[in-house]
Amino acid sequence: MAFVSSGYNPEKPMENRITDIGPRHFSDFLPPVIAKNKGTWLWHEICEPGILMHKAESGDEVYTVRCGGSRLMTVGHIREICAIADKFAGGHLRFTTRNNIEFMVGTLDEAKKLKEYLNSQKQSGGSHRFPVGGTGAGITNIVHTQGWVHCHTPATDASGTVKVVLDELFEEFGQMRMPAQVRISMACCLNMCGAVHCSDIAILGYHRKPPVIDHEWLDNLCEIPLAVAACPVGAIRPTKKEIVTEKGETKTVNTVAIKNERCMFCGNCYTMCPSLPLSDQTGDGLVIMAGGKVSNRISNPKFSKVVVAFIPNEPPRWPTLAKTIRQIVEAYASDARKYERVGDWAERIGWERFFEKTGLEFSEHMIDDFRDPAYYTWRQTTNFKF
Amino acid sequence: MAKHATPLLDQLQSGPWPSFVSDIKEEAERRHKNEKNVEYQVPVDVCDDLLGILELSYKDGTTHWKHGGIVGVFGYGGGVIGRYCDQPQMFPGVAHFHTVRVAQPSGMYYTSEYLRQLCDLWEMRGSGLTNMHGATGDIVLLGTTTPQLEEIFYELTHNMNTDLGGSGSNLRTPAACLGESRCEWACYDAQELCHQMTNEYQDELHRPAFPYKFKFKFDGCPNGCVASIARSDMSFIGTWRDEIRIDQEAVAAYVGGEIQPNGGAHAGKDWGAFDIEKEVIDLCPTECMWMEDGKLKINDRECTRCMHCLNVMPRALRIGNDRGLSILVGAKAPILDGAQMGSLLVPFIKVEEPYDEIKEIIEGIWEWWMEEGKNRERLGELIKRQGLAKAIAAVGLTPVPQHVMEPRHNPYIFWKEEDVEGGWDRDIADYRKHHQR
Amino acid sequence: MADPKEIVLEFIHSKSKQKSKFYFNDLAALFPEMKMREAKKLINQLVSDGVLEYWSSGSTTMYGLPGTGKQAGAEGEE
Repeated sequence: MAFVSSGYNPEKPMENRITDIGPRHFSDFLPPVIAKNKGTWLWHEICEPGILMHKAESGDEVYTVRCGGSRLMTVGHIREICAIADKFAGGHLRFTTRNNIEFMVGTLDEAKKLKEYLNSQKQSGGSHRFPVGGTGAGITNIVHTQGWVHCHTPATDASGTVKVVLDELFEEFGQMRMPAQVRISMACCLNMCGAVHCSDIAILGYHRKPPVIDHEWLDNLCEIPLAVAACPVGAIRPTKKEIVTEKGETKTVNTVAIKNERCMFCGNCYTMCPSLPLSDQTGDGLVIMAGGKVSNRISNPKFSKVVVAFIPNEPPRWPTLAKTIRQIVEAYASDARKYERVGDWAERIGWERFFEKTGLEFSEHMIDDFRDPAYYTWRQTTNFKF
Repeated sequence: MAKHATPLLDQLQSGPWPSFVSDIKEEAERRHKNEKNVEYQVPVDVCDDLLGILELSYKDGTTHWKHGGIVGVFGYGGGVIGRYCDQPQMFPGVAHFHTVRVAQPSGMYYTSEYLRQLCDLWEMRGSGLTNMHGATGDIVLLGTTTPQLEEIFYELTHNMNTDLGGSGSNLRTPAACLGESRCEWACYDAQELCHQMTNEYQDELHRPAFPYKFKFKFDGCPNGCVASIARSDMSFIGTWRDEIRIDQEAVAAYVGGEIQPNGGAHAGKDWGAFDIEKEVIDLCPTECMWMEDGKLKINDRECTRCMHCLNVMPRALRIGNDRGLSILVGAKAPILDGAQMGSLLVPFIKVEEPYDEIKEIIEGIWEWWMEEGKNRERLGELIKRQGLAKAIAAVGLTPVPQHVMEPRHNPYIFWKEEDVEGGWDRDIADYRKHHQR
Repeated sequence: MADPKEIVLEFIHSKSKQKSKFYFNDLAALFPEMKMREAKKLINQLVSDGVLEYWSSGSTTMYGLPGTGKQAGAEGEE
């Protein structure tokens, strides 16, 4: 593995250095029909699940075939996508904000052939490579975070939980029988680097045990003031402690003490200090939230609400998670009105009915007790249903 | 033969949805075969070891990654996230496994040529694993070693004319919906504004000096496909202030069942014949629509542009002609004080090159936040702490009823001395002339 | 005005017993007469000159002297 230089000279880092150029301009990448008709589109329709047609003032039509992608993908997989773009779509493609892949072609016939081709592509284990769908009033791809694949504070895996939920809901990806679109999102800890707090259904990894303190090493690996300052709830303070070392010596060390009852399990202290690990096999698991949205359509955007306080981690296939989400989806699909999002439905029937119809259990954990916003979630009226 | 047995992960190779496990296994095999004789700059078994350490997490239910804060490219305070595994002896291929965030073109259109260049680079100098795309919108390259960072940056900037994205206390890589490129509802060129603002503020993006992260997102219309209202400190949402354009013939075609409502989005279930009263007029949140002599009427002055009627009848109704955008500020996920939606700051602004008015708003907000914001305080939290009125003042706007859902619930107005006639300086002797002690 | 580099170094050395990393605001406060965006230019120039280096938590960035602090050893990036 000999080192191959790019041309960069470490002795003179500023030599020929190019900085602050930003991304490529999108016009370098637009398919010709898109570039030609930009800003003059008239209307669109969904010809069938996974195929969209956009009509421009010029009379031009563009047919888009949408297929699901894993957000986590290899360069080999991307090269396959490129080969499809070359073969069917003039070498152009785009990704959607929900990790789907779109190819644009000129006629419905081409789109149907492409759809058929995409749906026929299978992976070595038998899963689809490019399942077509994710349009209209259905369930599209689940956006997610890194999880155990690459993050230091996750309470679960992201790619795995998303895979099993999408396996469970697979037929919904390829059809459009929901009352409105259902946006599912996944974040693997409460920091939500994928902001899932306004999703129809949100899957959230959650820790339930405060950090464990590596007293013997802490002062060697971390700066105590930084660990103290990292805590958003002021639960960490510096202290001295008499410990017995791994070698059996007794000594007094500088370390920290944690007020466990204050801990909100965010992991910020672990980011600053590797001697405060947080994750724990039995402590960690999942929260399910529901009823959020970002669209302004009919009703205002709204936050997702906690509807399941805890589901244990059950790798590799998280059966309880998949089953619970199916329960919510089915209750919604059979009871909501056309155009009604999950949150609009829950508000119309009342959250007391939401728990009844979904079969989810309500507990004290669903009553907000965190700071100011909590009060506005309690019921200040006699208008409720028995 | 795989380097590590992965019986748990193997169970994710079944089921219809694309399996990331199968994909990574295939990549691991390709690396070992190395048919193109790539001079790998990170260990050849990096994918095997990634699967190995992930299997370990599946077994023990905990993560095996540690955070690193030092690594980056010279002169940039963001774009690279340091990662180290906590079992380097067992999995040397991923001992150092840093993330590189790469600025994506707005709207995320690509040519296969460009993506192949990226693949060649990342196959040679990284693990070959990516996220297309990360939650903020960047192209995310997962897993490389420290000596490769400058090399990757050099190749990206020199060969691909592409820069890194943001991380840390920076402006984060801005993102836009596909906007006018393929959507009839785009009220401004979201991609272009996103690109221009990204380039205008490259210094803020690469050299951290904010109290915390700061995100811009650009939605072409109130449908909000990039969720700017929920997850950007400054959210730019397209809107219009004149009349919705109506094609009455198309309205009649919808009523007559010739055109599928909502672009055919509900075709998977029999919802019965389209009923314009029930599905459009009764669902209008401001009740500003009605039918008269077979024609659809809209009282546009009362319309709040929620998009429902346009979404249901895209061939009959079109956005107005006097278009621009609204700016909302302060959205964030729940950490720490609870989630916040963006609050309306600028009801309407035109989107015109060179975008000076928009830049003034941005810079006014930044100046205020940089002066007043505490360490690690998001803009939304500062607005909560000091009040929306301060944010409005920071950009030199006049408060209007559009700024609130409803007026305040308490009379505790903190009057300023200059706003009260005669000031606060009073003489106790004057008071005593009329009041005994 | 004194050399900004000296002001920053003096401040960091005075705190070095407690911590090695500082928020932007901590350093900007050393130059109260400056607008924040001027201070930003100055402090980032010190990074370009190799006087300071960044440390990022991923969400927040801090500044310190290159190679100092306990993280440097813990991350194995000497």
